[in-house]
This record gives sequence, C-alpha cells and structure tokens, in this order.
Amino acid sequence: MPANIYLPELARITFIKEEVPGERAIKTFRVEPLNGGSFEHECGQCAMLSVFGRGEMMISIASSPLVKDYKQFSIMRVGRVSAAFHDLAVGDVVGIRGPYGNSFPVDDWRGRNLCFIGGGSGLAPIWPVITTAVAQRDLFKNITVFYGGRSPRDIMYKSELEKLRGVADVHLSVDKAEDGWDAYCGFVPANVMDKEPSPDNAIAVTCGPPIMIKYVIQNLSQLGFADEQIYTTLENKMKCGLGKCGRCNVGKDYVCVKGPVYSWAQLKNLPEEY
Amino acid sequence: MEKILDKQRLDDWIAVLTDWDAFAPAVEDDVWAFRPVAGAVRLDHPNTKQPPKGFAFPQREVFFTFEQIKGEAPRLTQKLPQGKRRVAFGVRPCDGRGTVRMDRVFADHVDDPYYQTRRNNMAYVGLACNKPVSSNCFCLSVGGSPVGSDGLDVLMTDLGERYFVAAVTETGKALMTVAGDLLKKPEVADRQRLKDLHAEAVAQPQRAIHDADGAPAKLKASFKSPLWEELAQACIGCGICTFLCPTCHCFDINDEVTGAAPLKGSRVRTWDNCQFPDFTMHTSGHNPRPSVGARLRQRVCHKFQYFFENFGMHQCTGCGRCISDCPVGIDIVHVVNKVTEHAG
Repeated sequence: MPANIYLPELARITFIKEEVPGERAIKTFRVEPLNGGSFEHECGQCAMLSVFGRGEMMISIASSPLVKDYKQFSIMRVGRVSAAFHDLAVGDVVGIRGPYGNSFPVDDWRGRNLCFIGGGSGLAPIWPVITTAVAQRDLFKNITVFYGGRSPRDIMYKSELEKLRGVADVHLSVDKAEDGWDAYCGFVPANVMDKEPSPDNAIAVTCGPPIMIKYVIQNLSQLGFADEQIYTTLENKMKCGLGKCGRCNVGKDYVCVKGPVYSWAQLKNLPEEY
Repeated sequence: MEKILDKQRLDDWIAVLTDWDAFAPAVEDDVWAFRPVAGAVRLDHPNTKQPPKGFAFPQREVFFTFEQIKGEAPRLTQKLPQGKRRVAFGVRPCDGRGTVRMDRVFADHVDDPYYQTRRNNMAYVGLACNKPVSSNCFCLSVGGSPVGSDGLDVLMTDLGERYFVAAVTETGKALMTVAGDLLKKPEVADRQRLKDLHAEAVAQPQRAIHDADGAPAKLKASFKSPLWEELAQACIGCGICTFLCPTCHCFDINDEVTGAAPLKGSRVRTWDNCQFPDFTMHTSGHNPRPSVGARLRQRVCHKFQYFFENFGMHQCTGCGRCISDCPVGIDIVHVVNKVTEHAG
C-alpha cells in the first residue's frame, strides 16, 4: 500500500500576527506539527493547508528552510479557506501536507548580488529566499529588496523589513501618496527603474500580482538583466499538488510539480497562459 | 492462452468467477452502462455511454472522514477502497487504451492510493469491435485498433456463434483458468475466422485525425491561433465531453460537512472539468483560461500535445463519445484537423 498522499499531517497554530488590516487583510501564521517531526522544505516550495470542514488551499511556505521549529505562512483573506484560516486562533489545529513543487536554486547564487522585487502578498513566497540569504550573509554580495503595497497600510512584514536595513538595501513604495509616507510613491516596476539595480553578477527574484511581474520583467530586461538572471514564482489554482487534478498546468507543465519557480528563460518557452 | 467459448456458456463462465463481482453493459435509463451482472449477459452493446474509468476512478469518493471538537485535534479516518475483486466484461479496445492512460496519470510521479487500490482490484475483459460501434469512431487514426488489447486483461472476439477468448495478462489467464472446461481449444477454422474478422475490422471505414503524429508540433505552433475562439464559439461549457472521456482525469477535492458540534464531515474527491470557467479561476478573480476558446484549446492540446510531450502517447483513444454527445456539435476530429491543417 503506497503512502496516502492526500492525508494531511496535523499541526497546531502557535503564532498569529496581523500584517495588513481591512478587506484584503493579510495575517501571518506559524504552525508546528503535532507529532513533533515535520517535512523539510526548500525556498519557494508550497504546502497544502486544511481547515477541516472548509477545505484545502495551496500556500507558499514563507519561512526559511533554516527554521526548523515551525513553518510560516502569510495569507490574504480572499476565499473560503483563507477566510476560515483568518478566523482561527493560536492553539487551533489545522492540516498540512507537502512540500510541493521545485525551489529557487539559492545555493547556485552564492557570490552573486541578489535583487528581490515583491508586491502585495507576493513578498511571502520570496521571503524564505531573502531570510535564507540574510542568515548566510557572507555567502552573497549585495542584497537589495524592492517591495511595494497599495498604501502604507498594505505593507506586510514592516518590522522585519526595517530590520533588514543595514544588511540589505530596502526600497519600499506605495501606489498612491499619503501623508507621512516619505519613501517612493508609484508602482513597483517604476521604483525599480528609478533605482536602476545593476545586472552585473546579479540575480533578480520577483513575485507579486501578474501585471506587476510582467512590467518588472520588462524593466529588468531594459536594465540589462538576461533572461537567465530573472526568476519568478507562479501561482495557479491547485487541488492536489501532485500533478494529477489537472488544473494548474501551463502547457505541459503542472506548476505544482515542475514549478512554481521559473527563470524567465524557462517561462518564456511555455505558452502564455498564467 | 487462447480459447473458444460458446456464446450460451458466457453466463456459466461469469457464474464460476465467485471471487469476483462481475459487471457487464446493460441498458439502464435508456443508456448503456456497466452494471452488476444480474441475469443473462449478451455482449451486443454498441459502446457504453460512460467509459469504464469509474471503476478505478469513481465520480465521487471519500478520501477520509474527520471529526473535530473546536480547538482540539481532529480525528481523521482513511477510507481506502475495500471489497471483492471486480471484473468488467465487454470493454471496448478504445476504453482499454483509456485505462493505460489513466494508469500513467495516477501512477506517475507519486502513486494515488485510492486509484491504485481500485485498479489493482480490477480486471477488464475486452470485446473487439468487428465493426465500428459508432459513426464517430476514429481509433485507427490515433494509433489504436478496433481489435487491440492494450489495457485489457482478456480480449474476446465475436466469431458468430462463439467467442475467441485470448488472455492478455496474468490476471486474464487466471480468469480463464477458473472457467476450466467451459473454454475449449480453438480449431484451425476458429483461428482463420479470427484472422479474417480482425483484418476486416481494421479495414472498416472510420473517421480520422489526419496528422496525429504531427499534431504536437502543429498545435504548439497554433497556441495563439484565432481558430480556437472560432471553433469554440458554440460551447455552452456543459463539460459532457470530459465527463464521458475515457482519459479525462481532472478532479476536485472538497470538504462535505454533516455535523456542526463536534464538526463532522468528509474530504471528497469528485470529477472536475476543464470546460468550467472556475476550474482555473484564482480566488482573486484572475483566470488563466478566461474564454471558451482557451478552454477548448486546453482540452484539445492536453489530448494531442501536452500528454504526448509528457508521456510519449496521445491522450485521445478515438472513442468518439465527446463528439456524439456534444449538444452543440463541437467535434474533436474536426477541431484537430482544422487547426493542424491551418498550421501547415
């Protein structure tokens, strides 16, 4: 009898933090497995979280693989399961299975400049790479982080981003100007063009709304980044995480297995259907 | 192992398969369906409305049940399939090939325990198509054969008064061994009749995909073709094409709740359908396949491009069900031919 790939492990919520308030609220959750052990993951992989009675959802693991005690997820309240997750409290028990998908080749990037570009909740999927690189600061050259939200209230990981200053160049932005905001005003791709990160010995990693990713890649190309130097992570509706339920494919690739991490060089060869 | 079975002894063979639950095509609610054998079996069906894929991949199945008191850990109870071995008689060769493709999906990358358990418990006794069973058959043009045995455990051929019964797998041999003296040694004339009938069967006129071999490359080149929207224009998104397909494997997973305190319910798998808009729609509202054209393209390219790129075989077996039962006349043979011809 093969192992039951659909049966989740049980995990307890040990920490909840409200990142962003309002209609598109984002909360960060940490979960710890009930049985003591849990799966190992790599930067960029995802896990299927269950709220029993409501269903499952695929979420990027936002904590670094170097963190062994818990797995962190930052979740926007948008659908049935994410809303149910937001209503949970510390101590509640959820289901988790995974990890799913491929990962960012972080080890191959040693000795290079890393440039991260995130928008909205798209900071979470690249956060494990950022924190892994920072934890091994000596192994990498310059670390630059671009991140933007719709308004100052939509900025997630605020205190964590502030702590990055000193070990990384942090460039925040908001779409619309507001009193008290003294960093960049405008969309994330524009902030990138404004700061002109150098493609020299660099890797750029971007995640955010599809339209943001599109223009970020366009702008990075304009700045001289080669297709192989640009990485992103796709999201698609998923049910199984195992390349069987049939919905997350882009061309022949099931994103849950072959993705979610793609270099622009790879992504360019897939049909434009994501 | 090759034997002869007198037609009137078919029921006797089924009767001695006491370790097995037997199924055969029967008319139910005006359609041919695989039903538990009850009474005389006459294998004179055209093809069943639904393929036999539901034996290993039922339309709805429970993965596990859960019971949870708020704030506490839930109790999960796996519901792996159990029961007697099952054998289906009268499976057409196109549906045998469908099974091969389903096996690839559910046993590739990681095994699906629900599918595998049911599949390992299942045997298919096929029936060759001496004549095309529908005016929309096109198995020959997609590499199949009306007398092929891929995915079957036994292949029977109707010789008139008798069946020629050939084992394909060890399971098939075991089924035939149980029959004992009911199965006789074929005579030279039986073998000659089989040979003639099979030669006639593959010479019968069928519909045809004109360039199935060239389809993967040509479809790839046609991703942005305006033909997709044009050909899909009449589609009402009912999804009958995929529900009746012997190789469509897409599914949904949902929780069904039956009690509130404590919370009680089941995690359930059901067939799903790439022709439904919300199949791919993100929670945000963004949809990678927002139009009927994009969804038709997905169905056709999955069959004739993506599956081939992943597994080296087309996912379509030419049964023709999606053509016969489409309420608006969308015709996969026409679609593939039109798009590939347009690609040059």
